[in-house]
Amino acid sequence: MHVRHTARLTGVCAAVLGAISGAYAAEADFDPTKPVSKVTGGIGYATDSARRFGEYNGLTNEGVYPLIDLSIVRRDETTGTWMRIEGRSLGLDNRSALLELNRQGRWGAFLDFTRIPRHEPYTAVTSVTGIGSGTVTVPGTFTPGTSAFELKTTREVLGAGVDYILAPGLDMSVRFRNDHREGNRIWGRGTTGGGPPGTFGNFEFTPEPINQTMRQLDVLLSYSGDRLQLTGGYYGTMFNNQFNQLDVVGGVAALATPGTTAFTPLALPPDNHSHQVHLSGSYGFTNTTRATFKTAYATARQNDTFPTGAAVPLAPGVGNNLDGKVDTTLAQMGVISRPLPKLTLRADFRYEDRDDKTPVVQFFTAPGSTATGVNEPRSIRTTRGSSEASYMLPYALRLTGGIEYEEKKRNTSDVRIVSYREKTEEWSYRVELRRSMSETLTGAIAYVYSDRDGSPFITTTQNGGALGSNLIAPIHLADRKRDKVRVSSNWNPIDALNVQFFADWADDRYSGRDGSGLGPRKGEAYTYSIDAGYTFSDKWQANVWYTRNKTRADQSTCEAASAAGVCPNTAADPTYNASVTNESDNVGIGFRGKPNARIEIGGDLTYSDIKDTYFQMPANPPGNAVPTSLPNITTRLTRLSLFGKYALDKRSGLRLNYIFDRFSTNDWTWPSWVFIDGTRLTQDDHQKVHFIGLSYYFRWQ
Amino acid sequence: MRQSAGRRSTTAWAALAIVLLTFAVTLDALAQPAPPAKESAEQVCKACHEPYFATYAASKHGTKTDQRAPATRGGCIACHGEGSLEHAAKGGGKGTGALNLSSKTVSPQTKNDVCLACHKGGKRVHWTTGTHAARDVTCSSCHTVHTNHDPTRDKLTQSETCFKCHKEQRVQINRTYRHPIREGLVACSDCHNPHGSASPKMMVRDNVNDTCYACHMDKRGPFVRTHQPVQEDCSICHNPHGTTNPNLLKARQPFLCQQCHEPTSHRGNFATLSGTSTGANTLARGCANCHTNIHGSNNPANISNERTFRR
Repeated sequence: MHVRHTARLTGVCAAVLGAISGAYAAEADFDPTKPVSKVTGGIGYATDSARRFGEYNGLTNEGVYPLIDLSIVRRDETTGTWMRIEGRSLGLDNRSALLELNRQGRWGAFLDFTRIPRHEPYTAVTSVTGIGSGTVTVPGTFTPGTSAFELKTTREVLGAGVDYILAPGLDMSVRFRNDHREGNRIWGRGTTGGGPPGTFGNFEFTPEPINQTMRQLDVLLSYSGDRLQLTGGYYGTMFNNQFNQLDVVGGVAALATPGTTAFTPLALPPDNHSHQVHLSGSYGFTNTTRATFKTAYATARQNDTFPTGAAVPLAPGVGNNLDGKVDTTLAQMGVISRPLPKLTLRADFRYEDRDDKTPVVQFFTAPGSTATGVNEPRSIRTTRGSSEASYMLPYALRLTGGIEYEEKKRNTSDVRIVSYREKTEEWSYRVELRRSMSETLTGAIAYVYSDRDGSPFITTTQNGGALGSNLIAPIHLADRKRDKVRVSSNWNPIDALNVQFFADWADDRYSGRDGSGLGPRKGEAYTYSIDAGYTFSDKWQANVWYTRNKTRADQSTCEAASAAGVCPNTAADPTYNASVTNESDNVGIGFRGKPNARIEIGGDLTYSDIKDTYFQMPANPPGNAVPTSLPNITTRLTRLSLFGKYALDKRSGLRLNYIFDRFSTNDWTWPSWVFIDGTRLTQDDHQKVHFIGLSYYFRWQ
Repeated sequence: MRQSAGRRSTTAWAALAIVLLTFAVTLDALAQPAPPAKESAEQVCKACHEPYFATYAASKHGTKTDQRAPATRGGCIACHGEGSLEHAAKGGGKGTGALNLSSKTVSPQTKNDVCLACHKGGKRVHWTTGTHAARDVTCSSCHTVHTNHDPTRDKLTQSETCFKCHKEQRVQINRTYRHPIREGLVACSDCHNPHGSASPKMMVRDNVNDTCYACHMDKRGPFVRTHQPVQEDCSICHNPHGTTNPNLLKARQPFLCQQCHEPTSHRGNFATLSGTSTGANTLARGCANCHTNIHGSNNPANISNERTFRR
């Protein structure tokens, strides 16, 4: 293949490719020892509008779509220089492209582009205007929408990189990524109080405008010797937001009271940036003992200007920005040793200190019962250590035992509305029996027991010293005992058949605050999965799999606890339990075949039946009122994907693709909801689409 | 034009001489055959393993100008060992010398040592003390070597490799709320380094949050009003692999919020589909209908209860 052909082939239609292919029909077969390039062009047709199907690919509407893919790979045999030009879905909303050039063993460079759309599955029927800008206008009275607004965000990611080998074993790489995100997303503002019949209160639709740029720079210098490997460098990130506040014009009186009490502006994410220097390494002390490590220091800053406006009065002495600063120190080391051929020892230690050095400032001078008016920096120090021993027993069995410890220390403020403890500690014990290196059967069974507790919970007090509510131990701080069992096996009774079984159970038990019996109580999760693959011949293969999984979280709370945390536990305001479950059955079937030299076919079917349940039960039946459980939500997802390839000759052919995608749900999140301004968010609860694509491909060397 | 007799005679003698010389050379060649040129190891292997040779030759391993590549370090022997010569001498067959890197009877460490002889350091600097190495995962468990298009290194197909073992994630990425992994726009390796890292869960960056911030820097802050679990670990509330709850939350609001918050004021309210005002905690955005800036707010005032993330 010559360069002039490359230039002529990029981005042309199938008809032109067909004409070109005729010129090559008489040429010899491809040299299998050289890379092959390929360009594909065609059209696809979506039969329906299905926003779930098109959420991330842009195929949201019925219509015709161009299908263009490109892969040009060339290697100069005399210099070892590779050139790669890749283009994927070039005619679609989720297109990506790559240009890469590298002289193998010397240097390399690339430029890539990826467009990541997200079409919000729900369409807004609204009278709100200014969506996507820094100012939205909301009707002051209930005004049902007359036009549909399709919410969407798009990321355009541009990446570039250079690799250079400075000397044998010493190389440098630079990576830069510019990620620009634009669009809008579901957002809102709200406060207490009722609204007109049919609405739920003072809740307005105020979509968030998105015009953000995220940049990352990675500079790495790596050394690789026989015993010692080192990688160090700099990692910097920068976030810029075009909008640091959303101004809302209009709206209902409860939200738009003129002057300083209006719910406008709404703060948007502030600009921030971070810088990290780091060094990682690996050193082989002997042929049987090796250590790895990483040490890093990072600083993150946030000094964007505060939102401004009549409703953002600044207390005396408060500047125009937070001057936020978080410094993070990391030190990690791992060691592996095989003192005996059958014995392997591992150990790992990790220390991370996230030190929030943001100045503490009195931001408001009219503190409430649960607030002092100062900002609350969050510092967390994590220390983790683990060790593991593994011994090879007879019959290819290997027994492994391990222990892990994790300690987290967090800071807090004097006045809080959430229970808190300074320190949590978790010990985990692990034992595993594994059989490996067998031609027909491998497998493992592992059991892990974890026990988390910590320092005493600090009594929650109100501003002024009165006792606050002390009933709930937050899920990530609560005492917890966890059992986990994992079983896996891989069976190859014959070369053609492979059967894989996997099962995972986890059971969590939580303790509450001082025997209150409230908060997270229990958690359960399991996954069972079986996969089978069969090779009928070197031309026909098939696979099938089934996975069932379930998670359940049980928790308790009460209605209308007093400020001091006393539950009324009455018929009207009971103490109650909730059990939230998600379970699903999932099936997959796939096949690939090559009936003859010209034809290849294949297909994949996946089906998921997912059920979410929300039981709410009184803790003290039958005297107290029974809160109504929420209706179950059932979601079913089906996707069938078939393809057929027909080779017209050695270089070219046709590809036919068919996709059937079905989404159905009875999710009640939005269908009955009406914002007080009249906005509704709607989706078709039963979406079905057929996508048919026909494309022509041409290959060359 | 007719040739003269002399010229015809000369031509005939010349032709005869050429024929005789050719014949003589041929006889000499037949009488004393030169020893055949010694075949390279690659050529010996190619004789029986043509498809494997071709895909290797077309790959980076087969690039003959790179002094680090197997092609310049003995070819097939560079990976399959000196035993390959014995294997060839015996006419092939299983278990006759060559190191078969797909054999289940070869220990994972032996297989990995072959690759790590060249591919050490860099992104793999933590491999030896990482979880995958400890669980007998081999390089060839994930990577296809005899190709210049390894599906594991392609964003569109990479997840299929990971799902060979990670079954729960296989179903989660098809949930209602998910990352665009299925479309090949996000890959497992965008968040995880399967070769090991200094971070829990083999995250690409040093912790869960720093990994999430690579694409979600808007959540980093720090803010005037900070929400403690947001600053600690995104996975306290979110399951990044996919859920049936909006925004990849682990549980629907208010259940999620009630896992931490005291039941004073309205925070202990039942979840209902008909609640109004502070009872409207399940539909739409749940608790975030009011507490809209749940990841943190940079609003310095507290006129409208901004400290609870409402503005």
